[in-house]
Amino acid sequence: MSEAPLLDARDVRVEIGGTPILHGADLAVAAGELVAVVGPNGAGKSTLARAVAGLQKTVGGSVRWSGEDIARLRGRRLARLRAFVPQRPRVPAGVTVRDAARIGRSPHVGPLQRMTRADHEAVERALARAGADQFAERALTTLSGGELQRVQIAVALAQEAPVLIADEPTAHLDLGATAGLARLLRGLTADGLAVILVVHDLALAAAVADRVVVMADGRSVATGSPEEVLHPERIAAVWRVDAALERDAEGRTALRVGWLEDLRASFVRVP
Amino acid sequence: MTLRLSLVVSLAAAALAAAAAASMTLGAVHIPLQQVLDALTGAADPGPLRKIVLDLRLPRTVEALSVGAALGTAGALLQAALANPLASPDVIGVTGGAGFGAILILLVFPSSIALLPLGALLFGLLAAAIVFVVAWSGPNPGGIGRLILAGIAISALFAAGMSTLMALHPDRVPSAIFFLVGGLTTSGWSQMSVVWPYLAAGFVLAAVLVRPLDRLALGDDVAAALGARPRLIRLGAGVAAALLAASAAALAGLVTFVGLFIPHVVRLAAGTASNWFVVPASALCGAALLLAGDTLARTVMAPIELPVGPLMVVLGVPLFLWLLRRAV
Repeated sequence: MSEAPLLDARDVRVEIGGTPILHGADLAVAAGELVAVVGPNGAGKSTLARAVAGLQKTVGGSVRWSGEDIARLRGRRLARLRAFVPQRPRVPAGVTVRDAARIGRSPHVGPLQRMTRADHEAVERALARAGADQFAERALTTLSGGELQRVQIAVALAQEAPVLIADEPTAHLDLGATAGLARLLRGLTADGLAVILVVHDLALAAAVADRVVVMADGRSVATGSPEEVLHPERIAAVWRVDAALERDAEGRTALRVGWLEDLRASFVRVP
Repeated sequence: MTLRLSLVVSLAAAALAAAAAASMTLGAVHIPLQQVLDALTGAADPGPLRKIVLDLRLPRTVEALSVGAALGTAGALLQAALANPLASPDVIGVTGGAGFGAILILLVFPSSIALLPLGALLFGLLAAAIVFVVAWSGPNPGGIGRLILAGIAISALFAAGMSTLMALHPDRVPSAIFFLVGGLTTSGWSQMSVVWPYLAAGFVLAAVLVRPLDRLALGDDVAAALGARPRLIRLGAGVAAALLAASAAALAGLVTFVGLFIPHVVRLAAGTASNWFVVPASALCGAALLLAGDTLARTVMAPIELPVGPLMVVLGVPLFLWLLRRAV
């Protein structure tokens, strides 16, 4: 691990249309690390991801990429430091998988330049690494949800940025596609990338993440290893559900949920 | 470039060359191609034939291909920038504004008929400017939904103004019909001399925006994450389309549908939506189609000149529907 974290965001505050959405959230990631951002719907997970990525204006706090303030990093320079996979990407007609990955390479290509051979090679590497090279000639409109997510990852990898931020990439995927994507993202950290994964599936977060950041009501309320952070008391306090995370000797994770039970009175609210 | 893309470009270029040859040779006087070429290169003797070629047919040909290229480019730019296959110059209010400007001159100030192209051009740009100001102010500036709705509202406003003028001056309406349905006139270089700077600015801006527009394909978030500025690109594309469509209206009246369907024909024929191909190919195909249409319009029932606007729609719709049925 390097000394300065690739991303160091502190006390990030965001207002949208005058309404405070984030009241103070911290997020940091280092090379080779996978950080999962979890929390209930509306807790500000996506807003935090978009704010640190520079896609959402902040009204307070600091966001530093490799030690440099994000306000000084605009456009293509920022695009070489972090890639962002949005929650709902547009799927245009008449665009192939390879075309899409080439769009991802654009931060390396000047406005009036053409792609060099090195750029084309980077695009092919990204397609292969994301497992999208098998269907590189197909149109985006013909792909399954899981294939589309691999394309989105390939677009991000073509940027060759050291940090990849993915906003709920598994939200609409079946079990097999979710597991495939989890293995891909974990594999990227083994390549040395840092990955920030916004995800609502706690069992998945616990299985893949080195660290978990729990968001609640627009704040980051806890950060640490999945075991430290996702204990039943916190799940009860944040999600208002009686549930416990389990992990077996092989690393399989499961969430045991008392679906129809009221919260036990003994639980106190842990912020 | 793949074989298929090269084929589309070659076919369009050949069609453009054939249409240009037909446009220069055919008419009330048939002028053989060799004499046309002599006149163009300055090798011909001064005389009536040379005058017809240089002062009547050449400006008409240049106008027709400029209008076709401008409408094709404007449609391709807007469909890419608004991520909407229904986008055309009508959507950003240009057509409504230009129509109002022209009708104002034709019906209220008929003695100032020379101002017709300028009136259409300026009111077309004014309408687009109002649409852009509305769409780029307030929260979420430059959002696609607001831009399209503002465009529809402003178009309705100028259309209402236009129909009110027509109701107030019913006796003069026949003089406006040719403009309203869209048609070129043989009037030498006078219109082109007013319009060309706007046309040129539109084409230059379009050329600069071709690659940035491709970065919008995966949505604004991806574009912004890649360091592009989606709203600025969209505004630039809107301004370029407004310049081109207003210039086209000043030259040829309200030729509709061409701007909508040319880019679709290009996409369906070439099988790609990449703007670095679709935008220039739409300019080429638009020029070829409008030039061929205009030549047909002024020769098929000679000496009566048909308006090219409706003829383009009549010829274009079957081609469009045929391609549409084959589309995936």
